[in-house]
Amino acid sequence: MATSRFNPRSTQVVPSRMVTTDPTTMSRPNVTPGTTGPIGPVVQGPVVRGSGPIFMADEPLTLAGGRPAVLPGVSVAQLQDEIQTRAQAIARDIVAQQSLQTTIAASGRIFTRFDVGTDVINNQKTLVTTGLFSGNAATLSVMYTGSLQTSASKQYYYEVYNGNSATSEAQFSVAFGHRLGSGSSAGGTLNDSPSRAVYSQYKLLLLNPGDTSFTFASGESSNEIYAINFNRARIKDKLDPGNWQLSLCELTGSKYANNVFTGSNVVPSGSNRVISLIDDSGQSQQTNLTSAGRVYNVVSGSIGGGVFNASAPRYYGLVYPDMGIVILNGNALDASMSFNTVTGSNIAGDNAWKLYTSISGAMSINSSANAFQARNEEAITSTHYFVRVKNGEYNFSNNPSFVTGSVGEFVQPTFITDPKTYITTIGMYNDRQELLAVAKLSQPVQKSFSNEALIKVKLDF
Amino acid sequence: MGYLNNSTITVDAILTKKGRELLARGKDEFQITQFALADDEIDYDLWNPAHPLGSDYYGIIIENMPLVEATADESNSMRYKLLTLPKRTSRIPVISVAQSSITLTSPGQNFVITPTTTNFTNGNATLGYTAILSDSDAAQLQVVAPVAAGVSPTVPRFIGDAEAAQTISATGFSFNIIAKQQLVSDVSATITIIGNETGGRATVNLTVKKTQLATAIGTSIVNTL
Repeated sequence: MATSRFNPRSTQVVPSRMVTTDPTTMSRPNVTPGTTGPIGPVVQGPVVRGSGPIFMADEPLTLAGGRPAVLPGVSVAQLQDEIQTRAQAIARDIVAQQSLQTTIAASGRIFTRFDVGTDVINNQKTLVTTGLFSGNAATLSVMYTGSLQTSASKQYYYEVYNGNSATSEAQFSVAFGHRLGSGSSAGGTLNDSPSRAVYSQYKLLLLNPGDTSFTFASGESSNEIYAINFNRARIKDKLDPGNWQLSLCELTGSKYANNVFTGSNVVPSGSNRVISLIDDSGQSQQTNLTSAGRVYNVVSGSIGGGVFNASAPRYYGLVYPDMGIVILNGNALDASMSFNTVTGSNIAGDNAWKLYTSISGAMSINSSANAFQARNEEAITSTHYFVRVKNGEYNFSNNPSFVTGSVGEFVQPTFITDPKTYITTIGMYNDRQELLAVAKLSQPVQKSFSNEALIKVKLDF
Repeated sequence: MGYLNNSTITVDAILTKKGRELLARGKDEFQITQFALADDEIDYDLWNPAHPLGSDYYGIIIENMPLVEATADESNSMRYKLLTLPKRTSRIPVISVAQSSITLTSPGQNFVITPTTTNFTNGNATLGYTAILSDSDAAQLQVVAPVAAGVSPTVPRFIGDAEAAQTISATGFSFNIIAKQQLVSDVSATITIIGNETGGRATVNLTVKKTQLATAIGTSIVNTL
């Protein structure tokens, strides 16, 4: 027997398997000449509710152009009889379901079905931005490296934390990469250089296939890059472009020869010279899309003031918000902030430490103005369920305090004529009565025969 | 001119462990189709019809009570469901069974439980009852009188993960409990009976005694099993 769905809030009956037609070609169900079987092929597909052709049993069936639809060995009258028989079966099924629902309602009910058409709104997408750092903080004004990080991994990157306690969390990493492997110790083999591995890693992550080096807006292709890689838990979906600002302070690189500017020699210069970097997403006329998603230029400026000297900005790198990665041009930092990036072959330059020192040094100069500011971005898909509780529903409770004794007497005599219940929890179930989601109200809502409740339950995915 | 009270309340739902499990299997497995309401945390003894400020304040202490957050453990949510009953109802339907405890002393010994609903004519007469045996190692659970074909009754899942593997449930009007052999020690379990229409529950304690093995000299234990 054909199954059917009955919408209790509507008088419209919607069989789940229904003979449908293409109104552009046929005026009746698609009964194709030459097809065998009692009726024409049944078109499987979405149920049409309130639209499309409706055929009546007492009307002759015709194809497009008014031609009669006749099957070999089956007369139109037989076809109409078959259709009528099936329609009656569906109707009986619906009446039986109605009767069952009525019986259940009269003898007590604890579940109410959602009307999918009016009670459920699917796939509501909301873009949510929050502070990027732990605790949804929008700024990071002090930072630490991790004492537990191994010296071997420090040759590749430094993990940056928001505190120095056991509960501190990693916020981002800083790394240095060189296309040819310079600036880090390779144990005598240039191919094993950590800086080469890092450069190659970001090249493959961020550049289009075939690109061998990072090319910045200034037109310069740089062999040396500094990378800031935000932790996945911090950026959620992506870095919010246009809403991050990184301050760097000048280092003491100009005082040392290149091959010795490492270790304890790397400190802020004392000049208190600081630059702040942002992206130019607010200035860009069009978004540059790469295989790593959107990419914007990193320029000097501030969130509040925008790009510094917007007509001729100073470019410092690239930001890939969808990947949560900032790539800084080593040459630009050498020139303006005295990074004096160690580029000798097979020398442990510890260059990533310079970026860490420059960021933390700027914070030390002014922890408020030079704090690292950033937001993340997350697209949340929600489904809204409208829980409609009518006046005659849910006015009694299985709560043990609702009754007294063992025979189900109400604890409050007034409940006999005017029962009151309180809604605190809404359970969302599937057809197998499995509790899939639960929502709690902030305060109990009273329910009685004299009031109704409408509660919107939002479920985020 | 005051502001109108917005009558729509918006609340955020969280997925239960079961919901996460089904969502992980795919969107088709995760289909919310119905809802139920509960009044967990409410103590109706706090309802005060003698409040000096009048009837508006009978339930004020309940209404002002802050509620705790939802928990993802489905076994601890929706414990006391609200119920739709006719207005003339004067007593809450009560699920009852004749025995509060059952002791089965030997393997294969059985006991039939037939729940009844009092205070409500034809209560649970259509969807019947769900029996949940907390430990399937203790006994078998069989349906003696099933619900009508085509009827889809409530099969609540409120047992936590740790117990779920041992828990079995069945739906019907009458249930047969058949003891399993216990070689190590007595086994205790609970049988929870839930009304599929009226809600409410009754609990029966089940004890299955350790099987007494033959200990005659020269007799193999294996042969006595």
